[in-house]
Amino acid sequence: MNNPEKRRKLLKTCARFFAISAILALIIFSYQKTTVKEAAYFWQIDPELCIACGLCETQCVLPVSAVKAVHAKEVCGFCDLCGGYFRANVKELTTAAENLMCPTGAIQRRFIEEPFFEYTLNEELCTGCGKCVKGCNAFGNGALFLQIKQELCKNCNECQIAKVCPEGAIKRGRKAYFKPY
Amino acid sequence: MVQTQSRFPRPDFESGYVYPEQHFFTPNEALWSYIDIALLVLLMGFVAWAVLKKQIRWPVMLTSVISIAYFGFFRHGCVCSIGAVQNVALGLASDSYTISLFVLLLFILPIIFTLFFGRVFCAGVCPIGALQEVVNIKNYKLSKAVTGILSIFPWIYLGFAVLFAVTNNGFIICRYDPFVGIFRLGGELPLLLFGILLLIVSVFTGRPFCRFICPYGAILSLFARVSFRQVKITKKECINCQLCHNACPVDAIRPPYDNIVKENRSTGVKRILRYIVFLPFMVMAGATVMYMLGDKFGKMNEEFQIWSGITGAFIGLVIGLTLINLSTKRTRKYYEIEDTDCVCCGRCFRYCPQNGLSQRREDAK
Repeated sequence: MNNPEKRRKLLKTCARFFAISAILALIIFSYQKTTVKEAAYFWQIDPELCIACGLCETQCVLPVSAVKAVHAKEVCGFCDLCGGYFRANVKELTTAAENLMCPTGAIQRRFIEEPFFEYTLNEELCTGCGKCVKGCNAFGNGALFLQIKQELCKNCNECQIAKVCPEGAIKRGRKAYFKPY
Repeated sequence: MVQTQSRFPRPDFESGYVYPEQHFFTPNEALWSYIDIALLVLLMGFVAWAVLKKQIRWPVMLTSVISIAYFGFFRHGCVCSIGAVQNVALGLASDSYTISLFVLLLFILPIIFTLFFGRVFCAGVCPIGALQEVVNIKNYKLSKAVTGILSIFPWIYLGFAVLFAVTNNGFIICRYDPFVGIFRLGGELPLLLFGILLLIVSVFTGRPFCRFICPYGAILSLFARVSFRQVKITKKECINCQLCHNACPVDAIRPPYDNIVKENRSTGVKRILRYIVFLPFMVMAGATVMYMLGDKFGKMNEEFQIWSGITGAFIGLVIGLTLINLSTKRTRKYYEIEDTDCVCCGRCFRYCPQNGLSQRREDAK
């Protein structure tokens, strides 16, 4: 024990043993907390909590937010007076820009048959402001909802939108909200 | 907001309208995550082989370039091992938060590699370290006092990062990452400027981020201290020429030191023991100060204050141990690598005259 070399070696062996057990403990404890389903790891919006406040449009780290409106056609009422397409209190249901809800003109309207119109969302133009989502939920079936487009999402370790979301609707949960219907 | 009210029934179309196929934003395949992990292991193994077995530097540079291109600019530097510290901390502390297996691997694999081979992750696999490595040209040495004081900062940063993570107050490592803006070609201006400033500094002195900021590097340095294999400057005998010391960008090579103050072993032990008795007071002081300051940092609640106190105790412990470490002096006959600080960049190999041309010829034979 009086040999400093040997003493140092012994200490090092003890420390190594300690380090290995620390790593093992860390693995065992944190493995219990890992997600089982890999799909649930992605940032997603819970449509039931989302109030379409519009923060998604500005808070995302991308120049144009990864959040886009989704149109679930299965739920759509194909209304002539669409709350997501027209602003409230429009006089005439024309496609003039001052009547339209979408600030970027991302929603296309097509006549099918009396009195039904088909609406199509252009994701290239959508900025995720959520105005149409609000409108559709206020007056219509709620066929529009906001969701994070996974092809665009950088999957930041901490989502900048999630930090400011007033409803805590953006999360990495165990559940997948991508297909709400 | 309530979803799917049926105020308007689904129309029955007479004109033969067919519902188009619905497109939802389903997630990408986790393929990239698997590639990340595979590349991480591969690159760390490559660096370990190069610096431990072959004692050559070009693989480190190659790894750095690959890492900057892939982890940095292609994957936009997120999620990284440094940030994963917070995920793991929050996952361990909270019942509801789940860690992704991928993030856990990102966190644990470099630690395991460090325990076996030293800080090969820092060498060039970490895109932040790699970025500073490739721009580093000159090695102006900082004074020992400056590096000594600044190298406590990573521990304090680590303490605060864990504090804010476990109390659900956000991930400050990610929030104030100075390099992610560079990898994403845009970001918040102050952070971007800070990142560029760090890069400019790292042209003149090695890796300011790794040495004085990186909290993950602090964790790795602990494991590097006891790693099984450690980097050797040369396989031959050191001739005390000082060239490796001058070449080292992170001041990890300690010069020979003749301990003039010949201290009796028993008095030395007693002296250290006295310091160790003093340590609990440091811990308590840190805990008290941080507990008092607890309500100034974030949400004012009891839980945060307790965590804040624990962080304070940790910081007190780190400062105390650093001071004790400063007071112990070890005699060295040759230039030696301090394994905690060595980032395995491999710069010293080429500077060592013992690894000179004749050595290479011998190796070739």
